[in-house]
Amino acid sequence: MPLLEVSDLSVRFDTDDGPVHAVDRLSFTLEEGEVLGVVGESGCGKSVSLMSLTQLLPSTAHVTGSALLADIDLLRASSSRIRRVRGRTIAYVFQEPMTSLNPAFKIGRQIEEVLQRHLDLSRAAARKRATELLDLVRIPAAARRINEYPHQLSGGMRQRVMIAMALACDPKILVADEPTTALDVTIQAGILDLMRDIRERLGTAIVLITHNLGVVADIADRVLVMYAGRKVEEAPVHDLFASPQHPYTIGLLGAVPRPGAASTTARLQEIPGRVPSLAEVPQACAFADRCPRADDLTRSQQPELREVRPGHRVACFHPGGEWAA
Amino acid sequence: MSYVDTAAAIELSPRARRRRLLRKRFLRRPLAIAGLVVALAFVLAAIFAPVVAPHDPSTIDVNALLAAPSHEHLLGTDELGRDVLSRIIFGARASIQAGVLATLLAMLIAVPIGVTAGYFRGWLDPVVARLTDVLLAFPFLILAVGLAAILGPSLLNATIALGVGAAPGLIRIARGEALSLREEDYVRAAVANGASDASIIVRHVLPNMLSTLIVQATVTIPAAIIGEAVLSFLGLGVQPPTPSWGVMLSAAQPYVNEAPRLALFPGLAIFFCSLSFNLLGDGLRDVLDPRTTR
Repeated sequence: MPLLEVSDLSVRFDTDDGPVHAVDRLSFTLEEGEVLGVVGESGCGKSVSLMSLTQLLPSTAHVTGSALLADIDLLRASSSRIRRVRGRTIAYVFQEPMTSLNPAFKIGRQIEEVLQRHLDLSRAAARKRATELLDLVRIPAAARRINEYPHQLSGGMRQRVMIAMALACDPKILVADEPTTALDVTIQAGILDLMRDIRERLGTAIVLITHNLGVVADIADRVLVMYAGRKVEEAPVHDLFASPQHPYTIGLLGAVPRPGAASTTARLQEIPGRVPSLAEVPQACAFADRCPRADDLTRSQQPELREVRPGHRVACFHPGGEWAA
Repeated sequence: MSYVDTAAAIELSPRARRRRLLRKRFLRRPLAIAGLVVALAFVLAAIFAPVVAPHDPSTIDVNALLAAPSHEHLLGTDELGRDVLSRIIFGARASIQAGVLATLLAMLIAVPIGVTAGYFRGWLDPVVARLTDVLLAFPFLILAVGLAAILGPSLLNATIALGVGAAPGLIRIARGEALSLREEDYVRAAVANGASDASIIVRHVLPNMLSTLIVQATVTIPAAIIGEAVLSFLGLGVQPPTPSWGVMLSAAQPYVNEAPRLALFPGLAIFFCSLSFNLLGDGLRDVLDPRTTR
């Protein structure tokens, strides 16, 4: 049985300009200790779908479907129940390490707070564990750093502190929402390395939300590609990179620079057009307007997910092959 | 790693370093220092009035009615032969007490209301916001005078009236701070890690609005000091024969032509006392503002 089973998750925001369908019937599973990469352009519903799991969306959001975590439906759990899941079973690391720590308190105190909240540890025990956690995320001289304020740390250090806070209660699932986007490249590599290490040492399942395919290739086991609120492709990471099926995935891969290849002189492929508005459920494939393979069938019907090989599913009428097909 | 070098450079604890930085910034502001010194002098004079004052403030000297300043009476005597300097020193008690207690009362009323409205929003927020707008339409002193008239004349009632009168402005500030702090990333992160609303308010919202509240307090104190003088002048505050600057001003009215100093000295006391707290508040605002670089 999977650790987390999400089925038919839909999120609708009621705005002044009418409803926006941010996520449309998304289903996925997460196994214990698995790293799942979720990729897609900005605004395709990656963050919204993962935030909805612990009811973190504003009250304007209407969430339907189910998300089963050990027999609890997270989407219908009471607010006190879901608060015990947040940080305890499912923990989050966000994109903005510079502003995600409270400037008024020492970092040690902030980690201890999470420990005391969920595990009911004494002050001294929490302090000891906080030092261990800072060690775990490879902050040098943890025993001294624990007494520093956030403004004394660099962005990479702060993101390590955020990860330490997220890991404080040994969660089963760590949701990392673009954890490296705000950091420079050398620091990025260190953070990714750390995540891989955490998965190996603690067996934590990680959901990595990103628009960086390089990051996905680096540490994910399985990849979920989202477009306009829908899952358009899902595959083990090697299959996805070896034989991408959906034209959108192929386009994404074409837009990644590859050093050393002949492409140093060739132009990077871009995907023409923009992500469609999510104001209404389309009666066609959402990608049709930007797709070179679009035909009458594509424009009149939404493609359903089909399995092209074990574990590799795609929602496209004309999958496979090369971009220029 | 460069971490080692910076660690060697930090010999003080972070809190001590921040304190030192704030002190350095404060010492670069001569007006703020002057404000601090004068305000402190008034506070000490009020506390140690019986020791500092040369005479008992209510002892009547029938041989020296309306006496001019002399060696015996440095600022002269009033129409009943009481020593003016001693009365001003004892009068500081009423002023400082009203200033500080009214400000504390205003904070106790305003912070819970403002934070609740600003943090939880919901139906409460617009109600609180519009109500404070309505109350702010009344000038502070008019509101205080009205309340004091309802409560009846006494120093305690005047203090309550001033505290309640100052609350709407503080509610608006506390609400605004809570509104912006609740959107901070660290609040979002705390929610995602399972923090309850109560712990977010106590650990994230209140500590981060503290410096704003401190500055606001030092600005409210002088307003309440002037307010106390006004209420006592009108007979709504301290009752004679207890000395108070407002009472002294009021009693000086019939003698403005013969002895204008009877009005001048308490007037100067009010002026310098409120000015010192204002300068102190301005200085604190500059120092505590994180955007200050000097």
